Parts: sequence; structure tokens; C-alpha cells
Amino acid sequence: MKLSAKTRLFAAWFVLVAITLSYLWIDHAANARDMLLASTAVTMAAIGFALVKVRIILREFMDVRHAPPLLRRFTDLLVAIMAVALLGTYIVGKAVAS
Amino acid sequence: MTTTEDALEPAPATDGSRMPGEADMWFFVFFESLLFTSYFCVYLYFRTQNEAAFLQAQSHLLPWLGVLDTIVLVTSSWVMARCVQLARAGRHHTAKRFALLTAGLGVVFLALKMVEWVRLIDAGETFTSNDFMQYYFFLTGIHAVHLLIAFVVLGILVYHPVRSATALAGDHRDVRDVLAHDRSLLGGHIRHALHREVT
Repeated sequence: MKLSAKTRLFAAWFVLVAITLSYLWIDHAANARDMLLASTAVTMAAIGFALVKVRIILREFMDVRHAPPLLRRFTDLLVAIMAVALLGTYIVGKAVAS
Repeated sequence: MTTTEDALEPAPATDGSRMPGEADMWFFVFFESLLFTSYFCVYLYFRTQNEAAFLQAQSHLLPWLGVLDTIVLVTSSWVMARCVQLARAGRHHTAKRFALLTAGLGVVFLALKMVEWVRLIDAGETFTSNDFMQYYFFLTGIHAVHLLIAFVVLGILVYHPVRSATALAGDHRDVRDVLAHDRSLLGGHIRHALHREVT
């Protein structure tokens, strides 16, 4: 079934809101376990969720889905650079700290 | 269901046939994204070096307020994208209302952010209180400046409707919507970096 542009946009918004709300659940779960100590898994998952949101905004809200291949590849490269930089910094930081 | 608007809307472009915005705007988006990514890398690194202190300071934030603010931000981005769809469908009057609604949601976002700032300052948490608060006020402050810039470009959209409608209905989405979404991208980064990333 092909969604109309309006419906597709709404679906993108809904997914973004759902991902955003999931942080309350993560926070609740972390607090329930009295996690003042940072959880590596939670941090990496949160960065991953953020990157998914960035890609959805680029593809759906900023219309990259219909853009020329060069821009599509360029924006995917941007998300990949963000992923490597953020996750890499976190992993290196943890290694240095320990 | 096919609405009048859907019927009016141009046939979906095949992949690669429509450049959203101009190249210089995309370079601006890339530059900004990389700039903020580097800010967060610095933040993340120093956080790993003293996680207990960062988490202690972070516990002064209200998670639900941050989530609410983010939902307002994402919704403003959605409304702006709808504005562009409507302009392309030739419904310029409705598109203008959506542009104004985008600005209204921007005001709500800023108001919620100010509530958060005032609450923290009242509790004695300021820019110089600790490292976390320094990052928090710096990053949310610079994000607020972007929001103010977006108000200016939305103003151009609303008060120069003919030029803007031409830009939006054509192949160029122009500076306005790109900036509006850019706020959303930056906002998403800031939230994840400061509120929930390492709970």
C-alpha cells in the first residue's frame, strides 16, 4: 500500500515522538535499578536512537528521500560520521578513564 | 483516502528528481551538524572522565520536561514539512497558517526552555556551578540562538508570501524549512547528549 505524502509525514512524526518518549522509560528503568553509575549499554543505545531520529528527520522532513543520489549518500555519510565520532569518543573516553 | 490536497499535490517525484533546498544551505546544515557533533564529543569525553559528578549534576534536570520540549520541537518540524507540502499543492493560505503555527510552537519550546533555566538558576545551578551545567547552559543557549534565527526566516516566509510561495512551490525549499528542521536536528542532539544519554 502506498501512503500519501501527508500520511507518511505523520507516520514519521509518530515514530519520532515514540522514540522520544522511550527515553522516559529508559530513565525510569535506570532509576529503578538505582543506576547512578552510567550504563554503557544505555548510553550507546541512546546515541543509536538519536542517530535514527536524525536520519528520519533528514529523509522524511527534509525530503532527502526524493533528493538526487549524491545528497542521499552525503547525508548518510554525515550520519555515519556522527556515529563514529560519538560512539568512538565514548569508547575511547571509557578506556582512558579505566 | 485521497483528499483534495493529495489530488492537488504534484505526483511524487521519482528518486533523484528533486533537490530539496540549495547546495549552500546543505553545506550550512553539514557544517552545523559537524560543529555540534564535535561539541558533544568533547562533552562525552569529559563525561566519561568523571561520570559520577556528571550524573549527579544531571539529576537536577526534569526528564519529562526535556521530553515534552523535544516533542514540541519535533512537532514544529512536522508542521513545517506540512507547510512545504501545502505550498507545493498550491494551498498558500493554509501553508502560511502552518508557518505561523511552526513559529508558535517555537515560542512554546523557548518558553519551556526558559522555565527549565529559571528553575535551575533558582536552585543555584548556574553556568559556573559545575562542568555539566556549563555544557548544559552553553549547548541549550546556542540552540536558543538558532531558534531566534529561525523566527527571522519564518517571518520572511509569512511577510513575503509571494516570493516564499514561489520558492516553496518550486524546486527550492529554500533557507526557511531547512533552518526549521536544522533546529530539530540540533535539538535532538542536545537532548540526547544532556538529558538521557547516560542515565
